[in-house]
Amino acid sequence: MTKYLRSAVLLLLVAALLPLVPAGTKALAQDKVTLRVTNWAGVDEAAEFQAIVDEINATATDFELVYEPKPDDYYVQLQTQLAGGTAPDLFWLDQNHMAWAYQDVLLDINSYLEADDRGAADPADYYPGVWQIVALNNGIYGLPWIAQPVVLYYNKDIFDEMGMDYPTAEWTWDQFQQAAIDLTNEEHYGFILNSWPPIHMFIWSMGGEVVSEDLQTSPIDTPEAIAGAQLYADMIYNPECCAPEEVIAEEGNAEMFKAGRVAMFMGGAADDLDRVEGLNVGVSPVPQDVNGGNTTFAWTAATVINADTENPDLAYEALVQLTEAIQNWKIVSPRISQTTIEHLVASEPRKEANAEAILAAVPDMRALRIIPRQDEWDTIFWEDFQDPLFHGEDSVENLAADARILLEDVLPIE
Amino acid sequence: MKGDPGAFATYYPTLLRYVGVAVGLAILMYGVYRLLRALGAKQESATGFSLILPWIVGFVIFTAFPIGLSFYLSFTEYNILWDSPKALEDKLFNYKRALSIKVVELHEGERPIQVLGTMSGNTPETVRYRELAQFTFRGKHYVLGATDGYFLKGVWLTLRYAVISVPLGMLGALGVALLLNQNIKGVGFWRTLYYVPAVLPAAAVALLWFWIFAPNRGLINWFLKPLYALLGVEPLGWFTDASLVLPSFIIMGMWGIFGANTVILLAGLKNIPKELYEAAAIDGAGNWVKFRRITIPMLSPALFYNLVTNTIAALTVFTQQAFIPTNREDGWFVNWFIYNEAFNYGHMGYASALGWMLAVLVILLTLLIFRSSSAWVFYEGARRQEGGA
Repeated sequence: MTKYLRSAVLLLLVAALLPLVPAGTKALAQDKVTLRVTNWAGVDEAAEFQAIVDEINATATDFELVYEPKPDDYYVQLQTQLAGGTAPDLFWLDQNHMAWAYQDVLLDINSYLEADDRGAADPADYYPGVWQIVALNNGIYGLPWIAQPVVLYYNKDIFDEMGMDYPTAEWTWDQFQQAAIDLTNEEHYGFILNSWPPIHMFIWSMGGEVVSEDLQTSPIDTPEAIAGAQLYADMIYNPECCAPEEVIAEEGNAEMFKAGRVAMFMGGAADDLDRVEGLNVGVSPVPQDVNGGNTTFAWTAATVINADTENPDLAYEALVQLTEAIQNWKIVSPRISQTTIEHLVASEPRKEANAEAILAAVPDMRALRIIPRQDEWDTIFWEDFQDPLFHGEDSVENLAADARILLEDVLPIE
Repeated sequence: MKGDPGAFATYYPTLLRYVGVAVGLAILMYGVYRLLRALGAKQESATGFSLILPWIVGFVIFTAFPIGLSFYLSFTEYNILWDSPKALEDKLFNYKRALSIKVVELHEGERPIQVLGTMSGNTPETVRYRELAQFTFRGKHYVLGATDGYFLKGVWLTLRYAVISVPLGMLGALGVALLLNQNIKGVGFWRTLYYVPAVLPAAAVALLWFWIFAPNRGLINWFLKPLYALLGVEPLGWFTDASLVLPSFIIMGMWGIFGANTVILLAGLKNIPKELYEAAAIDGAGNWVKFRRITIPMLSPALFYNLVTNTIAALTVFTQQAFIPTNREDGWFVNWFIYNEAFNYGHMGYASALGWMLAVLVILLTLLIFRSSSAWVFYEGARRQEGGA
């Protein structure tokens, strides 16, 4: 063998053995099972999450959580890890990605829940409209940790200036629409829609559905669904009541409300819209639905367990502890027993002034019905229904009829 | 995380795998060396083969195997979250799904989606023909449908982008190279300056252009504001207006002309013997004749190289689209379309088929360029040999 080859082989061996020096000593000191957990948190949120992990680790006797935040390309990274068998034991999924439960990559925790009487593990303590994102595919695939209902933020100063009464939970959509028109002048618009809030909420509010309960149909062409979509189409980008598209592109969506350019804005309950300096903001549930409730959209997410975890029992234990802790950190908690002003204010003191209105919106919130091909369904719903509807390309009836055909092609077949 | 022993324990198996790979490679190198020597190879060649072995192993595992696997997957139904791919009854389903088109007569009051119907045969899921275009022929109205019109639109957009941006880019690079070839003061500085765009990260450049083209707050529309006011038109929606998506990407693509292309052409210009220009000048040739008869032929190998690499790059463009969202209806570049099918919709098998179709398209166009080279690429050495024969 030449000296070059000998040197190359030797170098490889030395490089290989170097890391073993600290590894040998530290690995021996390890007596707890390591469980990895990840989420999409950015720097500040990750620091807060790490504090929760540290607290759990301080008391856990048989497992040690290791936190691996992934602030960028979260889902691409995660599914690549799942495919490669290197995914963490626990991770966050938003409601759309709960569709992964149909691909058998998430652990069914139903049997664990039945034997557990802790609050975070009690399905009956979760709002049904939120619980449905984990109760799918004949199992329970995680625990929701947040449920932010969409609420109505309103600028009190603009209402006072126009001599109008503040919105209430008793407002109908007709009253709301008229108020949006009345509040529009050269200085400000009454309302703003820009594909947010979700059109689903308007359709539900009129008694329609976008996916049926049995997940077999997408009845968006029923009179109720069409009424909801028509209401949305009548207002979006209509300068008589709402900010036009080019103005939103120029000035931003929520930014327009923060700048006092819009009187009413529908946003998540945890948003910072009610603590903008110099802005006098009130909060109300969204207008009444056809049944007299205040049906609203819930942005929700869950912590789930990797189906391939080597320690399912300990992962479940960590899941419950993490969920309990997160539900005391994030607002709004998806649990019925935690729907109290005290609990909400303890989690987020800055929401004290509007806590009552936020909690009034909670009982009627609902999340999506998750189907296996959720991403494809969402894309069709946007490209073939919402986008052309918002830009007046065709009537609601025609678009709904065509889109229903396409949407039902991607629904599960029994 | 703060010296967390748990974090170290997580990293430990990775370290062990790293050690295992290194030791395994070392043993493999030694084994190959002994084998080659036993088979009678000279010490020098046995050593050489052993030393390039890590690269070969890496190439086989990380390049050759995925290429082969993607070819296999293109005949299957596969979601990246599944343990293994599912067999397709119709092995060519993914390819048919991408390319199937259909023309149906459209009667008064009928909606295209209702008359076009679905793909026939053994399909694992419902695949519907969707409207691509409508036209009238001999008094009858027809609708052209495709099972994946978005893919076909993507191919059309990508081809137009390549056909327009590559020649434009090469012309620009040639112009810059000619300027940088002049004897001007501080030429080294200018050459460095024009190469800077090539070393900037593609993602940062894409985001920069996204801002430059922003309809309301972008630099271009800000400069054009007086013109818009004069003509009484709305500011152009560069990446949002369907008709402006392609021009926007082409203008953005011109950024590349100042990079490696210019350097290669400049090197080519430097290699052209001065005697040729001097002889032409004695014969009374002007600047244009010198450029047309000497510069271009002598530079043609470098132009040929740029044409091949730029065409491949244009057909496989990805980063720009990844950072600049446009409407899928207006066309997505094929590579971005493939990425979305694979990672957002879980159609890894279908995406593999699309990837192979793109690869075939790239190979065919590259072969076409190679075939055309004998007509316009001038190799000095080759002509001399021909002349001497």
